[in-house]
Amino acid sequence: MVNENLVKDVVKEPYKYGFVTDIETEKIAKGLNEEIIRLISQKKDEPKYLLDFRLKAFKKWQKMKEPDWAGLGYKQIDYQDIIYYSAPKQKEKISSLDEVDPKLLETFDKLGIPLTEQKKLTNVAVDAVFDSVSIATTFREELAEHGVIFCSISEAVKNHSDLIEKYLGTVVPASDNYFAALNSAVFSDGSFVYIPKGVTCPMDLSSYFRINSGDSGQFERTLIIAEESSSVSYLEGCTAPMFDTNTLHAAVVELIALDDASIKYSTVQNWYAGDEEGVGGIFNFVTKRGKCLGKRSKISWSQVETGSAITWKYPSCLLLGEESVGEFYSVALTNNLQQADTGTKMIHIGPKTKSTIVSKGISAGNSINSYRGLVKMGTKAKGSRNYSQCDSMLIGDQASANTFPYIKSQQPNSEIEHEASTCRISEDQLFYLQSRGIEFEEAVSMMVSGFCRDVFNQLPMEFAAEADKLLALKLEGSVG
Amino acid sequence: MEIIEKIKTNKSIDNQTEIQKICLDKLQSNPLPNPKSEQWRLSNKSKFSKFLDYTVNKKDPKFDIPFPNTSQSIIRLVIGNNCQINLIEKNYSIKQLSEDELHKYIKEQISSFNQNENWSDLLNLSLSCKNNILGLKINGSKIPPIEIFSHASSNSLNAKTLVIFLEKDSDIELLQVNLGKENSSLSQSTFFCLKENSSVNHGVVSFGENRSNLLNSLNVIQQKNSEYNLGSLHFKFNYARFEISIKQSAGKAKTNIKGMQITKKDEQISTYTKIEFNGPNGFLDQINKSLADDKSHAIFEGSIIVPKIAQKTDASQLSRNLLLSNLAQIDTKPQLEIIADDVKCKHGATISQLNEDELFYMRSRGITLPEASKLQLSSYFQEIISFIPVSKDRWDLLDKLLNEK
Repeated sequence: MVNENLVKDVVKEPYKYGFVTDIETEKIAKGLNEEIIRLISQKKDEPKYLLDFRLKAFKKWQKMKEPDWAGLGYKQIDYQDIIYYSAPKQKEKISSLDEVDPKLLETFDKLGIPLTEQKKLTNVAVDAVFDSVSIATTFREELAEHGVIFCSISEAVKNHSDLIEKYLGTVVPASDNYFAALNSAVFSDGSFVYIPKGVTCPMDLSSYFRINSGDSGQFERTLIIAEESSSVSYLEGCTAPMFDTNTLHAAVVELIALDDASIKYSTVQNWYAGDEEGVGGIFNFVTKRGKCLGKRSKISWSQVETGSAITWKYPSCLLLGEESVGEFYSVALTNNLQQADTGTKMIHIGPKTKSTIVSKGISAGNSINSYRGLVKMGTKAKGSRNYSQCDSMLIGDQASANTFPYIKSQQPNSEIEHEASTCRISEDQLFYLQSRGIEFEEAVSMMVSGFCRDVFNQLPMEFAAEADKLLALKLEGSVG
Repeated sequence: MEIIEKIKTNKSIDNQTEIQKICLDKLQSNPLPNPKSEQWRLSNKSKFSKFLDYTVNKKDPKFDIPFPNTSQSIIRLVIGNNCQINLIEKNYSIKQLSEDELHKYIKEQISSFNQNENWSDLLNLSLSCKNNILGLKINGSKIPPIEIFSHASSNSLNAKTLVIFLEKDSDIELLQVNLGKENSSLSQSTFFCLKENSSVNHGVVSFGENRSNLLNSLNVIQQKNSEYNLGSLHFKFNYARFEISIKQSAGKAKTNIKGMQITKKDEQISTYTKIEFNGPNGFLDQINKSLADDKSHAIFEGSIIVPKIAQKTDASQLSRNLLLSNLAQIDTKPQLEIIADDVKCKHGATISQLNEDELFYMRSRGITLPEASKLQLSSYFQEIISFIPVSKDRWDLLDKLLNEK
């Protein structure tokens, strides 16, 4: 029933973000040691507490072992063969966007990211991170009027040192895991968001991460703090050029929500996934965690994961505050030789906490797509509830879909419900759609989009459209 | 490692059989299961080490548990000294496996063992001597129900092994009863081979007394068109593990599993199941229930493996758990690993306490709270108990569960 050639044609759809920007960059020598960390810290002109934080993390990292429990098969990473700091050469300080290298602006134009404030096509404030350094943040003044701080972490270290010192590493401690420790030691830049008490952020905030060099890793760090009764929606997008080598991306994201605050964090991850033979591609090892500290606070993760050769990512919620809410909506798509091990952790600590997990995995080609999640009810989580749903769709008979939900309860007065299913695109449905005059490709894309609808409904408008397109592009015709 | 020394120095194992030697060798290179492996991660280490504290006992004391009365004709076997059977009737035959057959089969099984997953089997086979291995070849139909007992004796570690070949087109009802004694450890390994078109209703009921321990392992191989129904119940063990491994060797077989474990006081009972489909058109329906009260801990881990060859597999797994006390714990981990694309697989898991609305309804009708809870529990238990063959009337399982202090 399937046209073989069509399948091949569409699967070969090139990665359109694979270009390299030829721009002068400043890189430090390869390798990782205390000197390098001191150098990074010095380049960024950091206060002592931050250097200490880095060095402590580095000491811990040296004692740790790379985790292997996910059973991901990948080439051993040589941590001494990575450049830990790479920045586009530019003037000492940029006061306006006009001073940014035009080539850089061109890059972001190609990616479809409106950096220039004149182009107010979408009402989204953007922080663009190119390799290790944040390039530009838009809409700052307008945000400042509301008291919202949205800047790069390096700037925040300079201008809002108290907040950084208070919150950095409180959600994901430096010793949390191997990759978080590595990030804590060498993180170069990232975004910082602070929403003051009672403020609803007037626009969606967005950061855009771009890896440009083939031999430098990207280690960004994001910290979002939502004070009492505030709310914010944050979007994150990622792309990288095509290289034959594997590039390491180890990010840490920390969210803190106080009483009645709400944070919505959406990601569309489309790092370069490697070619059909599995050569190249990004190794994506990310630690994302949110802390619902306050009463009735809410953290919602939604993600669309389509890129990276290896994805190792478990956005989690620590539900401490009474009646706090954690949500996780995910679509993970793998094709060719991609491997994704993703899921979430919902740790219910406070009473009457609620969490919802909806995960959709689509595996095609020779890929492996696993959902791995933990739901834990602590002894004090009286009256808490969890609902999880993980569905997998298999396309082709070489792909594999795994589900590993860990469920632990120590509180009788709580309820956990979990359900999972695996299916494939039904031939009957395809036949029906085709008999109604809908092209084969369109029918597949319709069905995949229907399969993911629960998650797409949770994405902000701009992202939902992009995600839908992205999936269609990556998948159409790969049914075999 | 201590246990190896114990096994070796134990005088009862003077003349080691070849199988014992092979297993001892394997254990020596890896004396204890890796506590970090998924199968052993949650196991209570101090409880597990107590399992190995008792001395190996080869000689069985007399079986002193009274058999429940029955009017039905039934074949009863007690694994241990002088257990022999050779029945040839018109419709069926039950024969003892010859020593050669038994050795050959067990050796084959050992060669495919995984050190962590089959650690209990390795321990069992290194301990169980000739007298404690029962091998049966069963052929025919309309066979009277069979009951097979394994029991431990106080202050000792007993190991019993059961091997059953069910020939083509045969069907049986089989109930295995594992009885723990005060301060005892029982290691029971069962190897079940179902030939084409055969069918089994298998029941496994294990219960102990104070501080009894159990390692119960069940390995089933199902050939084409066979049907395997398992009803299991484990309760009253200080520490118990029930490991089930089922292989549908060429697909097109049916497996139904309904299991339950009940933990109280500070007991820990765990069930691990691994179901592999090595051919197309396999079917699985599995439900596992746990109930944890007091300070106890119940664990369920079930994995379903569907490789590329197993197209058109239909598998479902459900884990239902009741957590009745603030200090009790439940861990459950259903797990699907799927490579074939044309399959229907689903699993579900719930953890909660007794339904409050239902309790309220019953109380509003004049039923007291303890009675109402009992009613709810009995319906929760009954689904599993009614699936266990041969036992319903004689073993008063429901009564044992509801009224046990």
